Amino acid sequence: MKRRLKGLFLVFVLCTLTITLCGCTGDKAGEDNSSEITIGIPQDLDDSLDPHVVGSTGSAGTREVLFNVFEGLVKPDSDGNLIPAVASDKTVSEDGKTYTFTLRENVKFHDGSTVTTEDVIYSIERCADASSGEPLVPAFSNIESITAPDEKTIVIQLSEADTEFMAYMTAAIIPKSNADPDKTPIGTGPYMYVSRSPQEEVVLKRFDEYWGEKANIENVTLKIVANADTIATNLNGGAIDMYARVTSAQVAELSDDFEVYEGTMNLVQALYLNNEAEPFNDVKVRQALCYAVDKKALIDMVSEGKGVAIGSSMFPAFGKYYSEELSTYYEKDVDKAKALLAEAGYPDGFSFKITVPSNYQQHIDTAQVVVEQLKEIGVSAEIELIEWDSWLSDVYMGRQYQATVVGVDASNLTARDLLERFSSTASNNFVNFKSDAYDTAFNNAISTADDAKQTEYYKECEEILAAEAANVYIQDLPEYVALNKKYAGYEFYPLYVQDFSKLYIVKE
Amino acid sequence: MTIKKKPNYNFIIGSILTGLIVALALVSLVYTPYDPDAMDAANKFAGISLKHPMGCDNFGRDIFSRVMEGTKNTLFVALGTVAIGTVFGILLGAFTGYFGGILDEILMRINDAIFAFPSILLALVIVSLLGSGKYNVMIALGIAFIPSFARIVRAEFLKNRELDYVKSARLMGAGSLRIMFVHILPNTFSVLASSVMIGFNNAVLAEAGMSFLGIGVQPPDASLGRMLSEAQTYLFSTPSYAFFPGLVIILMVLGFSLLSEGISQKSV
Amino acid sequence: MRYIGKKFVTMLITILLVSFFVFVAFAVIPGDPALSKLGTEATYEKLEALREEMGLNEPLLKRYGTWIVGFFTGDMGTSYSYDMPVKDMILDKLPITITLTVMSFLMIVAVSIPLGIYTAKHQGKAADKTIFVLNQIVMAIPPFFSGILITLLFGLVFKLFTPGGFVSYTKSIPDFLAYMVFPCIAVALPKIAMTVKLLRTSLVDESKKDYVRTAYSKGNDKNGVFFGHMLKNAMIPVITFLGMILADIAAGSIIIEQVFNIPGLGRILLTSISNRDYPVVQAIIVWLGIFVIVINFCVDLLYKVVDPRMR
Repeated sequence: MKRRLKGLFLVFVLCTLTITLCGCTGDKAGEDNSSEITIGIPQDLDDSLDPHVVGSTGSAGTREVLFNVFEGLVKPDSDGNLIPAVASDKTVSEDGKTYTFTLRENVKFHDGSTVTTEDVIYSIERCADASSGEPLVPAFSNIESITAPDEKTIVIQLSEADTEFMAYMTAAIIPKSNADPDKTPIGTGPYMYVSRSPQEEVVLKRFDEYWGEKANIENVTLKIVANADTIATNLNGGAIDMYARVTSAQVAELSDDFEVYEGTMNLVQALYLNNEAEPFNDVKVRQALCYAVDKKALIDMVSEGKGVAIGSSMFPAFGKYYSEELSTYYEKDVDKAKALLAEAGYPDGFSFKITVPSNYQQHIDTAQVVVEQLKEIGVSAEIELIEWDSWLSDVYMGRQYQATVVGVDASNLTARDLLERFSSTASNNFVNFKSDAYDTAFNNAISTADDAKQTEYYKECEEILAAEAANVYIQDLPEYVALNKKYAGYEFYPLYVQDFSKLYIVKE
Repeated sequence: MTIKKKPNYNFIIGSILTGLIVALALVSLVYTPYDPDAMDAANKFAGISLKHPMGCDNFGRDIFSRVMEGTKNTLFVALGTVAIGTVFGILLGAFTGYFGGILDEILMRINDAIFAFPSILLALVIVSLLGSGKYNVMIALGIAFIPSFARIVRAEFLKNRELDYVKSARLMGAGSLRIMFVHILPNTFSVLASSVMIGFNNAVLAEAGMSFLGIGVQPPDASLGRMLSEAQTYLFSTPSYAFFPGLVIILMVLGFSLLSEGISQKSV
Repeated sequence: MRYIGKKFVTMLITILLVSFFVFVAFAVIPGDPALSKLGTEATYEKLEALREEMGLNEPLLKRYGTWIVGFFTGDMGTSYSYDMPVKDMILDKLPITITLTVMSFLMIVAVSIPLGIYTAKHQGKAADKTIFVLNQIVMAIPPFFSGILITLLFGLVFKLFTPGGFVSYTKSIPDFLAYMVFPCIAVALPKIAMTVKLLRTSLVDESKKDYVRTAYSKGNDKNGVFFGHMLKNAMIPVITFLGMILADIAAGSIIIEQVFNIPGLGRILLTSISNRDYPVVQAIIVWLGIFVIVINFCVDLLYKVVDPRMR
């Protein structure tokens, strides 16, 4: 109690001081200067921390954390380029079929062992293994052979040229000797995994033998803030130093102790519709919903107008693949929407349920606005909030739902990653979208070696998604990262990842 | 018993509070100042004013209208809960209390086992079986409330079945069912009335708690518990968002508990 | 002794009944645990193999037998969503919930009994009346609302604690206890009000009884009568009530944990319920049930000590 009172006094004095100093620097009320940071995350990490499993079926929330623990032969930087990581050098043959990597000298795993070509081959073959159905990385079914001519070189031979293949070489390199990658993740990244306590926290520690520029902060604690309503108080109170995705309303609540970094989340937020469930199996119903939703009003409401309206499963960070004109494919038109509903046999509207994960305030907010807007065309929707894990198992895996509001991100920088899920047979096609035209366009895109043509085909895919109204596309959300002014160095990536290694403590 | 009767303040204040809250809920059926779900970007976090007596929330929705709507929802769930609890509680308590015997022994063991659980916990289990939502919470809480009513009714029936009026009714050839529900039941009403009020009290708290946890009333439907939960974000800048729903819950609970005390004072 | 023995047997039967109900409830609900464990990787063969392995093809009673034996020998099954023994998950969080419960309980006892005695002794005076009105109001404040108010006032305005800054007991016990103070206050407040009221009523009723009047009229020491006889008798209903409260606090902690971001049993229970992680839910519910039943048993025993007339 005495310490608390002392702390109170200190805070009081410091507050007064900061006020007189016109609050130019954040007050350093915290006692310790040991390098540690507590970062709030919206949900517990997945059960499995195996990067290959997470990369294939895991949640984005786990992936963005594991980004700090694992690396591939190459990895993305904050500008979206692929830079060498475990490999120090890469070359691609003229025909685009042979990839040669030179292993970096002395890259260590977190357990102290050195990365060998054996580990690399093991990791890639593990992702390419098709013995239990689809390989963990579908693009790896294209690998014909992978060999190590000497101790420093890896040669990957593809059966067909693939312009996007390099982006998939971000697949994590893990040690062959690790018997339990689910529970004891060992990688080569700047941070190593220490421990986790269910529903409480995950602890990471700086890896001091990291090959590259070492992380600045030694201890990173990821604290699970399961109740989204308490994020602002937890930040202001000092329980967490950083939270990666606060809403604009939460930003307004933050004290002067916080710097808010603004970027985009790089995801496709939409009212995802189960294309096989009544009544969304009728394209007219889906289109009617698209006409009913006023994206601009919605973005004004939930993102203070800062979100980017989108019209298909692609967001602006993807540059050449993104077609802006699709965002206005459906302009709000209540009469048209009603007419379409009548044609589809629902002149008086219908009712349905939107299942929303309860830990993402942005999606809950968006869903509420959507419900309100749909009332105008006589469609009544009700929201059901469920726990993230249940969302994964019921909606994403089980596909037992009518509609859901979430954001879908890309796990690497290829258009393929975003669009593959809508091909009829994709295992992650959770909206059950089926279109022959789409499948053709998509297959054309992945099998061509010509970059310009490929872009064309991908754009065709996007257009089909828009025309067929696969989902009610809404926005790429603005990302507000709240970081206590004691820290700095936050960097945005064009992907859904968090890079903790760049964060540093501000000197007084 | 004193000759000069002191006015029953509990009953009076309790009735007034409960009356006000019920009136608020009833009015919300036909009229709210604004559509409780209607959003208005221009009025986000609008302060307290004549137009919006409790201000507006993060979607620019009128908090007063939402409080009315939420009161209605809370009362509705509480009503359903108490109805389920009393109806099944009376049936169970009447039969076991009147007939006794091995059936009574078994049912009361089960009853005790269920009674051992705090009602919110039991409701959580049932919700985990049924799924969340307004109606499921009502059923879950209703089931959780049965044992306490059954106990009270059973005790009354045990007491009454030995009384003279029951014996004479039996001699006159009245059937068991007739005796139970025509003769005995009305005599338990005074005790029941007080526990129904306590039941309301607990139901309101439980509903608000479940909605606070996000498993009761689902958004955008207004609920006092859920509003409180959402208001946590804006605690510092817009404390009124948390204050008013909280206040209504307090008044509601206060009203019911005073009323229940008033009723038991009256019947003494 | 016979009384204790009988009560003990009843307690055991009730525990078995509770565990059986919970088990059956989770066994009959739709949904196949083997399927939910496999998720999308499920094939018919894999499913059958796993069902066999998990013993799901056995008859219900036999499964219950296996489960209850395992339960009391420390094997509570494996969590579906965490793939770790349920026992470890619970043991890890148990101290948090126990601390929350015990600390609030101590607060309730420490504050309400002196206050109850005080109001009863000053019956009808201004202090009594003020406390009475305050009591009625505090009783009506749900813990999650007082929790929010406490967060605002003591956390954000006065900065006496860090909202959400829970420190695990494994890291620092003093910090852990310091954080728990305010959640415990939120839990304890309405219960304190109820206990004060009950004790006061009980004492006032007692004071009207003949033996008290006789004792007073014989010129016995007022305090002697009060603490020697009245208080002892008046405590009987209070003890029952405190027993009930203990169970209530344990259950109510679920909500308070949510307000103060405390990762205790309640948080695990809540997420497990929505994840349909039934082994975890089953285990927590049965343990809480046992806790409640044992408390009731203890209350019965206490009765016997306080009131020898009880058979």
